[in-house]
Order: sequence, then structure tokens, then C-alpha cells
Amino acid sequence: MKSCYLGIDIGSVSTNFVVIDEDKNLIEKLYIRTQGQPIKILKEGMERLKLSIGGERRIAGAGTTGSGRQLAALITSADIVKNEITSHAVAALDFCENVKTVIEIGGQDSKIIIIREGLVYDFAMNTVCAAGTGSFLDRQASRLNIPIEELGGYALKSRNPVRIAGRCAVFAESDMIHKQQTGQSLEDIIGGLCQALVRNYLNNLAKGKKIEAPIFFQGGVAANVGIAAAFEKELKTPIIVPPNYDVMGAYGAALLAKDQVKNKGYTTFKGFDIINIEYMSRSFKCEKCANCCEVVELVADGRVQARWGDRCGRWSDVEQRKQVAHSG
Amino acid sequence: MGIPRALLYYEYYPLWKTFFEELGAEVVLSAKTNKKIIESGLTYCVNEACLPVKIFHGAVSDLIGKVDCVFLPRIISVAKREYICPKFSGLPDMIRSSLPNLPPVIDTEIKLRLSDKTLKEAFIYTGKFITDNIAKIIKAYHKALRAHGDFVAKTQKGVLPAQIFDGYRPPQPKGLKIAVVGHIYNLFDSYANNNLFKRLYQNDISVITPETLQTKIIDESADKLNKKLFWSFARKIMGAVIHFTQTKDIDGVMYIMSFGCGIDSFIADLCERKLKRANIPFYLLVIDEHSGEAGLDTRIEAFVDMLKRRKTNDSDLSAHG
Repeated sequence: MKSCYLGIDIGSVSTNFVVIDEDKNLIEKLYIRTQGQPIKILKEGMERLKLSIGGERRIAGAGTTGSGRQLAALITSADIVKNEITSHAVAALDFCENVKTVIEIGGQDSKIIIIREGLVYDFAMNTVCAAGTGSFLDRQASRLNIPIEELGGYALKSRNPVRIAGRCAVFAESDMIHKQQTGQSLEDIIGGLCQALVRNYLNNLAKGKKIEAPIFFQGGVAANVGIAAAFEKELKTPIIVPPNYDVMGAYGAALLAKDQVKNKGYTTFKGFDIINIEYMSRSFKCEKCANCCEVVELVADGRVQARWGDRCGRWSDVEQRKQVAHSG
Repeated sequence: MGIPRALLYYEYYPLWKTFFEELGAEVVLSAKTNKKIIESGLTYCVNEACLPVKIFHGAVSDLIGKVDCVFLPRIISVAKREYICPKFSGLPDMIRSSLPNLPPVIDTEIKLRLSDKTLKEAFIYTGKFITDNIAKIIKAYHKALRAHGDFVAKTQKGVLPAQIFDGYRPPQPKGLKIAVVGHIYNLFDSYANNNLFKRLYQNDISVITPETLQTKIIDESADKLNKKLFWSFARKIMGAVIHFTQTKDIDGVMYIMSFGCGIDSFIADLCERKLKRANIPFYLLVIDEHSGEAGLDTRIEAFVDMLKRRKTNDSDLSAHG
């Protein structure tokens, strides 16, 4: 049976799976909407992977990333848990070792990664507001009753894009509605929206950063040709959308898992068995002090596997200590 | 005497506490920042204020009913030809107009911009709320100054204020060393910054802050700027950062800024430019009411990862030669 490596990226909007072989070729990729239920979607994805590759390949290592990476790692016992910045940079560098800038716009985060000589040199993430990320575009598409896949196409048809305030999602939406009520065409409004988001990205996130070509555009929003075109127009440089732009985070996690397993010589990954385990997460409010932390428990077949969310460590430390005791 | 555990508490608590206790008053601190304090801060405070000011409102409300009066000095400037954030000069008024059932307020004006001789007068004014014995007040004043001096000397030996106030003993990580800079009330309110220091220690990072540097070093470095920075705390941050660009004995700088802070928005940018020229990695962490940890962890992890990778690359010249 041939070995392969799995990367899982649990994001706010989508959960992505990538399987690569020993030569880093992509064997399988899945892009599933998270729909606010990461555990269910994780199991669903694993089930689909089992059907498609389970018979002929063995997963020799797994890595997780995305905002749900800790949860995914607990459930799968992944070999490596990495933040999205590193995962995206690793994936971009694997695709093209000269890449100098990575623009990544996902569901609720947008990032800029500056790479020099094959290393992350500088990066920035959106601060407190998620304006201009995938979930906002999603919302606008559903409000306008347009499938999200077609949003970019509308923008390309725009001849006189309107000016939309892009700094804040709430402002942008009310600006869009006001323009629409004065009879502006849908194409021009969406075109304006794409420009506003790009302007916001470049003026806030990328402020002061030296954006040099080659520039990669990754993440779910890279599917939007309107945004890509707006970037090209603003930066006056061609933008490269890599072939697996939508799963680059998971791809990076798979690459990192491959390295990690090479280094340590074995994998902790639990395999497809997790499909049969009943996982449940539940939360309770700890009332031992005025913080009233929301503590979350991960329960596997009725047994508490992990707890997190408490500030003082009263709950999470106990579980960690137990785990150390088990493994030691 | 109630003292809210917020804002300049982190800078002057030993001074205030010693002064009031010498005069025979009992000092009552508000609870450590917690969810309840933040929530009442959000309820009472005007919406556009920054998180630390909201926490201050919550801290004062926590004292209501527990104390006979609260100490809310109107701090306008703490050094000659310098100011601090303008919100501080309006703080007692903001509190009075927003919080109901407030006990009597001592709102001594501290304004050392023209002359630091007014400090003694301010203390006498404050002390008179408790006693008419001027000699006793002056004695307490001197003792309080000494307590403040001891506190500053201790931090400059590398003891973080968190350690002095809470008895928290940080581990001694052996990994990378970074400087965490920002306003003192953002650095040492572990609730507001979501246990940042603990998270860094868990990543085997050792941490220094501007408070651990000698005043002389800060002054000399800050004087290298073309124009004097007239915000006292900004000047301290800037002095520290300029110092780091010369010594280069740290692996990176993390700036903690509260969302909406006017001073930070200038200074963070200035710091970034100076550090970039010196090729020292910089990361700006903006804090607000968020209680989710994933976003913060991602940023810290990514920054630490970047530092580690950059460092290994530096020492391994052949990698991309």
C-alpha cells in the first residue's frame, strides 16, 4: 500500500482536506462548507476520503491548520498543528520557490505574507474587523440572490464601478444598499464592492509592506475573478492564482505533516477509525469566579477527552495532566 | 479609600498605596479585571472609548458600595514638557457623568508640565481629605516617593510589574527573546491581553518590556528622535525601541495596542519603521473585547514561527547560498 499524507484545514467557512503522495503530488482534495459544525464536517470528510482512497493508500501522517486546528488535531491525533500563516507560506513556496508575496483571503481572516529568500519575512492579519473577507462576500451574494461563484463574473462586466466604503462591513453594506436604491446596476455595485475590498486590504493590512512579484492569491476568495482583477488593477502587476488556491492551507499542512513524520519516524494519526467514534462537544459556564469562562469539553464515546476555554487552567490543566500520565 | 485596578494603577499603585496607608486610610483595590468588570465597563462607558478606559469604568463600579471614597486623580502630565493621553484629564468627569451612586471622589489634579514642584501641592491637597496634619502628609509623601522609587528600581532589575503585584513567578524560558511594548495597562492586565505573557512563555519565549530598561537608557535613546515626543508613555516605548535597534539583542518586538488608541496608532507606526530599518521583526497586536483565543493564538504562533525560521536561517548560511 502506498503511503500518503493528509492535511486538514478547518476554517470558518470551509473545511478542506488534501491528500498528497510521497512526491508531493495532490491525490485528493475536498472542499466542504463548515456550516458551523466542524466535528460533523470533519467526520464527513474523513468518510469520503476513506471511500475514495482508503482501499489503496495508507495515511502515513496528518497535519491540521485553520482556526479549528486544535479541535481537528485532538480528534485525529494529528502529527502537527500549524497556524495558517506558516501553512500557506509553505504551500506557496512548494509551488514556486521564488514567490515573494502571498495574499490570502479566507472566510473570516485576511492575511498578507511577505516572503524573502524562501522564508516568511513579515506578515499581517486583519485586526479586529473581518470586513472584506469571504464571509462578508458570501452574505452579500446571498442578499443579492446571486450564487457566490458568479459574483466575480458580475464584477468583470462592470463598466463604471461605483465607489463603496470598504473600511467596515457594516458601512459597505449600507453603502451598497443606498447605491442600489438609486438605481445603479448590479454589475457596477459588485464591481465597486470588489474594488473597495481590495482598497481596504491594501490600505489597512498591506500598509507599509513591500508587495513584490511574484504575487500569489490564495484562499477561498481567490475564486472571485472580480477581486483578482481589482488587485491586478491596483497593483499594476499580474496576480497568480495557483491551481489549488482554495485548499492551499490544507496542502501546506500535509507538506508539514510529511516533514514531521520523516523527522520523528512514526505517526500518531488515528486513521479512519475516528469515523466510528461518537464525538460530541459541549460547553458549560464555570462559576468559580467572576470570569464565568465558557469551558468546552470534547467527549469521545462518553469519555471526556479534552477541555479548553478556561482562563485559569482549572479545567484544561487537569485534562492535560491526565494525558501526560497516560502517555508516560 | 478605593483605587480602581486599571490604567495607571499599573504604574503608580505602590506610590498611592503607601501614601494613603501612611495617613491611616485603608486601601481597597477593585477586583482583578474579569468578565463582570468588562461588562459593566461596556454598559457605563461611552461606546467610542478604548478598552482600558472601559475597564477603568468597570473597576470603579466594582468599588461602589465597598468604599467611602474613590481616588480618581486628574492626571494631565507626569513630566516636564510632556503630556499623557487626553482621556486621562477628563477621566474623573467621565466617571462622574456615567456611573450612578458614586461615593465621594478625590480628583486631585496632577500637572507637572510646567514644573514638577506642583506634585507636592497635589499630595497635600489629597492628604487633606484624610487629615489636617500637614507634617504627617509630607512625611507620607516622601515615603510614597521612596516606595515608587523602589518599585521602579525593581522593575529595572528585570522584575515585571505583574510579578510585583500578583506574586506571579514567570518561568525562565531559554528560547527566543522578544520585547513586548505598549501602554503599561495593556501589557500587565492579563485579562485584557488574554494571558499574552503566559502564551509566550508556553512557546518558550522570554520577554522583556520597556519597564525593565534603565530610565537613563530610555532617555538617551528617546532623545535621538528629531523631535521630542510629548507623550510620556509613548516616549518610553519609543526610547526602548530605539535602544533595541542599536543593541539588537532581541529577536523581535510585539506591540500591544488597544483598538482606537490615538497615541498607539502614531507610535506603533513609528516603531515599525525604525525596527524595519534595523531588520528586527515587528508585530502589532490589536486588542479589544474579543474573548475568543484562536485568533490571538494564530497570530502569536505565526510570529514565533517566523522568528524561529528567520533565526535558523541566519545561522545557517549555506541553506540558500
